[in-house]
Amino acid sequence: MEEQLAELAAKVAELEAASGGGSVTNTMFAETFYYLTIPLMIIIHAGFLAYEMGASRLKNVLSSGVKNILAFAFMIPTFYFFGWWVYWGFPTGLPGAPGPAGISGVEYANAIAWGWGESAQYMGPNIADQASGVFFGAFALFAATTASIMSGAVIERIQTVGFIILAVVLGSFAWVVAAAWGWHADGWLVTQWGVHDFGAAGLVHAVAGFFALGVLINLGPRIGKFNADGTANHIPGHNMPLTVVGLMLIIVGFWGFLMACVIVPGEAWSWYADKATTIYGTPITLSALSFNILMSIAGGIIGAWVMTRDPFWMMSGALAGIISCASGLDIYFPALAFLIALSAGIILKPCADWLENRGIDDAVGAVTVHGTIGLYGVVMLGIWGSGYPALQGAAGEAPTISLIGQIVGAVVFFLCGFVPGYVVSLILKMAGMLRVREGAELAGMDLVKVPANGYPEWGGDAPTTPAHPAE
Amino acid sequence: MFPYAEATWDVVDGAMFMGWGGALPGMTTVIAMAACVAVLVVGQRSETAKAKRFDK
Repeated sequence: MEEQLAELAAKVAELEAASGGGSVTNTMFAETFYYLTIPLMIIIHAGFLAYEMGASRLKNVLSSGVKNILAFAFMIPTFYFFGWWVYWGFPTGLPGAPGPAGISGVEYANAIAWGWGESAQYMGPNIADQASGVFFGAFALFAATTASIMSGAVIERIQTVGFIILAVVLGSFAWVVAAAWGWHADGWLVTQWGVHDFGAAGLVHAVAGFFALGVLINLGPRIGKFNADGTANHIPGHNMPLTVVGLMLIIVGFWGFLMACVIVPGEAWSWYADKATTIYGTPITLSALSFNILMSIAGGIIGAWVMTRDPFWMMSGALAGIISCASGLDIYFPALAFLIALSAGIILKPCADWLENRGIDDAVGAVTVHGTIGLYGVVMLGIWGSGYPALQGAAGEAPTISLIGQIVGAVVFFLCGFVPGYVVSLILKMAGMLRVREGAELAGMDLVKVPANGYPEWGGDAPTTPAHPAE
Repeated sequence: MFPYAEATWDVVDGAMFMGWGGALPGMTTVIAMAACVAVLVVGQRSETAKAKRFDK
């Protein structure tokens, strides 16, 4: 009898050890999952860097790059200083009351998102916390993406410090407010209106795109962009292949971006023990993403090819394809995603032309690709996905997706981007910190901002590099 | 468009995409295929027309 009891106890201990090992493996998997999304999203930044440097003229190529690199560099610490706190603090709106899920409100944010006092334990290395750092990293890269979206639109005439201030307002505040309201499970847009924006078509892309529009209105067009009669001139960048490859890199990085929108199972903070979910707690699989991302990329390219035959717009069409389906990548049927993306690719260039005909010089089409198509994607989900539960919960309790709800979300996302973009750029304009002086713009901003030459052997007055050092 | 009677994810244990169990998936697949073919036809015609301008 005693032997049997000892054997039983040994088996129980063995099972407990095995179960503990599984838990450690799952925790390591979860941490690694989000950790890997960070370098993938840095590829988005590499793509934006190549894209806007290629879209710049030779005289501005490095200054465009410097601006983009600085946006990244300032986004990370400012998101650490206060952006992360804003996300957790205000899902229910002002004054920051706690929401039903119990993971929001100013008190909660004070406890986990400040880099001082007791909350600092969640904002630095902590052997008992394998989640906060990787979540923060993924969100900080979302923030960097928003800044990069705006960065391309304003190339070749904006001041560096003015741009950085705008990038910080966008990346560490404006989109974070939109995410708190429309992405967080306690967000008032989600709980009251059933807004569903899984892949952030509205709360990242549209917010950034319309923030850029607000800035462009105050910044004005590049010298030479428009004629006296209002007609527009095309200002070609110096390197279309670089721009096109940059756009492809952005698409590579999008896989990390969308992967980071998934909540893995089996952790204390997961929605389910055995199912991956969206940030709203609704089920999703990486297979769903694979089907729908690939089909939407293809649809966007084909739609843009029909309309333009231009590789710049075709690759922008790929981006537009993903963005147009991003809100519902978890629940679209792949062929439907293809058709929505195809339509986005078709309307892309006409929408950009419409904006240009109103005197807006968006150098890379960012307002259209991210702003207009972002809102298009949010509304499309309202048309096709009405009736789907927008949030985890029992029947009748969870809000459902509706066209009205998605339109309300689209309007709020537009305002979250456009209003701060317009107001802050207006203040910078009045302070003389928005646009470079005319002489510097004509000479080229690299001469003013960068002590280096992008292509030192290019141009009539370029120094001749000796073939051999001895010559 | 939710393919289950109750609007809750608790009842879902399989396909969860829009139109599951109805005609939408098949219809959209056929339309997508037709769109691909139509695009190729339009593309071929316009490219041929442009190429002809360079005939001597």
